[in-house]
Amino acid sequence: MKFEELELSGFGKYPKAKCKVTRPPGIFDLRELIKNNSITPRGLGRSYGDAAINEKGVVAESTLMNRFISFDENKGILKCEAGVTYKDILETFVLRGWFPPVTPGTKYVTMGGAIGSDVHGKNHHKVGSISSFIKSFNILTATGEIIECSRKKNSDLFWATVGGMGLTGFILDCEIQLKKISSPYIYNKAIKLKNLDILFNKIEELSDQYNYSVAWIDIVAAGSSYGRGVLLLGNNAELDELPEKLKKRSKAKYIEKKITVPFEIPFNTLNKFTISLFNAGFYTTARNGEDFQHYDKYFYPLDFILDWNHIYSKSGLIQYQLNVPLVKGKEAIDKVLKKVVSYGGGSFLAVIKKMGDQEGILSFPFKGYTLSMDFPVKKGTIEMCCELDKIVLEYGGRTYLTKDSILDEKTFKQMYNGIWEKWMEIKMKYDPKNKFTSNLGRRIGLCLF
Amino acid sequence: MSLLVLGANSLIAQAAASHFAAEGEEIIFCGRKQDEPEKYANDFAIRYKCKTSAEYIDALDYLSHKKFIEEVFTKTPQIDYVLIVFGYLGTQETAQNNFNEAHRIIDTNYTGVVSVCELLAAEFESVKKGNITVISSVAGDRGRQSNYMYGSAKGGLSVYLSGLRNRLYKSGVNVLTIKPGFVNTPMTYGMPLPKLLVSSPETIGKIIYRAMKKRKSIVYAPFFWWWIMKIITSIPEFIFKKLKL
Repeated sequence: MKFEELELSGFGKYPKAKCKVTRPPGIFDLRELIKNNSITPRGLGRSYGDAAINEKGVVAESTLMNRFISFDENKGILKCEAGVTYKDILETFVLRGWFPPVTPGTKYVTMGGAIGSDVHGKNHHKVGSISSFIKSFNILTATGEIIECSRKKNSDLFWATVGGMGLTGFILDCEIQLKKISSPYIYNKAIKLKNLDILFNKIEELSDQYNYSVAWIDIVAAGSSYGRGVLLLGNNAELDELPEKLKKRSKAKYIEKKITVPFEIPFNTLNKFTISLFNAGFYTTARNGEDFQHYDKYFYPLDFILDWNHIYSKSGLIQYQLNVPLVKGKEAIDKVLKKVVSYGGGSFLAVIKKMGDQEGILSFPFKGYTLSMDFPVKKGTIEMCCELDKIVLEYGGRTYLTKDSILDEKTFKQMYNGIWEKWMEIKMKYDPKNKFTSNLGRRIGLCLF
Repeated sequence: MSLLVLGANSLIAQAAASHFAAEGEEIIFCGRKQDEPEKYANDFAIRYKCKTSAEYIDALDYLSHKKFIEEVFTKTPQIDYVLIVFGYLGTQETAQNNFNEAHRIIDTNYTGVVSVCELLAAEFESVKKGNITVISSVAGDRGRQSNYMYGSAKGGLSVYLSGLRNRLYKSGVNVLTIKPGFVNTPMTYGMPLPKLLVSSPETIGKIIYRAMKKRKSIVYAPFFWWWIMKIITSIPEFIFKKLKL
């Protein structure tokens, strides 16, 4: 098997580590690899932190294992290998009337990665995360054995693997239930809201009436406009509600336009000034109203710019996503926002969303509110995030491991109190020798060495 | 119309085949690794809703080639395009010390392809149509100490194809030689290549598809390799032999 020595990171480009990387073409090679190495499964490296890097083992990319295995045209059940991406699924099935039931904010995510992170989307409050639609998967475990997991079969491993950050084994393939749609368009309704109180009230009032709901907030605005934002609500549009022009386009092949940030911008383009400008601009130009948006624009606005993380220069960015319970949720988020402001740090994009419950043991979501922000890595950023962790803990919340790069073991175990122990039992059952490890796993104490 | 792919595992072949599949053409995936051709056939059938099938072929099992070609053409008489991508890079250093490795490099890249091409030529010549596309390499344009085993096999292949093209021209059969430069595939994985010169399999696949449709003769992929090789081949031998390439 061939290996590559690479300086590797997650999508946030922080932290980085020298890793030994390989791209096994199939099960045979994976089994050989597991015999003598500890490994980290990796898809397209879209998790932000260090979930898919490993300086003490081998990082095994799933990208060559990316084939569709079967598709039931009537039921919409797709079986595919773990390296199949959202992009593959969208390009193949949208015109046939099927859509991923849950999608993250980029289509450059593999199914293996989606399961490992138990990704959620704008419809989490309605349908849950991707694991709600995973009927089963096959996973290669530490012993080299392939175990079929579902809600009925080996359910302990099923629930430990969804959201398990790749630490239970290497997912080989999965069966996923797609969602029936009649057009590739999304009905989109935007409502501008003047401050944080109004914003929360509207989220409570309207979220449940729509499949997709997310609020963008201007983190920089102060005074009476503090916490102003735009609530975006949506549903998959039915073909007959579309204007004639879009009806016609619905049947045509979609041609994606893309630009790319070809190299890392050498200085940090994101400072207080540009962030304020962007946030104020976004709010001012936003309009109340409704329209129909193509799914590509609606769900993946940032995919339009390939490698957009390059705008964060070499030092990278930290995505910080928290989830706090409904009770006192607003208070917690208010405190977090004020803390961010007190550090003089703005966030390019800050997003609030109502979440539902989730069954995966380590899955991030639970009924409450989530807030996600991204910060350029610079002096004070990490210190600020640690302060935010304290607030999150105080309110019984947690942060998202897929985006995390700073939690320490103690804080993690407090946030996932009563959960990580349960997960660890299953990890020990299937992987007692710690064959599946990652930098994240070591940092937060999910693998021992 | 159908496309016969020899070397189903190749990312370049899959990328090229995807364009034919998107047009609804039937794809026949052939390869040596068990189950793999079937997996691709399955995938393409779902992805592109085209007809697909899978066959087994070993480039080095020359004696089996005649039966293989006969059977494939009996099953699918409308094969119009053949894309031959199997090859073996091997290790230059091993090949210098162990003739088995040198033998394998020459046989997979040259002898195996010649064996199949002669059978295809006879098949297409008789019906006076068809397209044979073979992936050679820029490495075959000039021998370098770092990979002359592979390079010489590919060089021989390019010369062979040139002759075959000449022979089949009058029968209306097109022979296309593709000479890719560095491509990001499992074959080159882990090699320290100059990033700016490395292409994706998708880029090369598209170039191949277009060249096949336009019935070209020799195509460098991407085109800038024509310039690079022009420079490399124009260096006088008395200087070239002193270079560390």
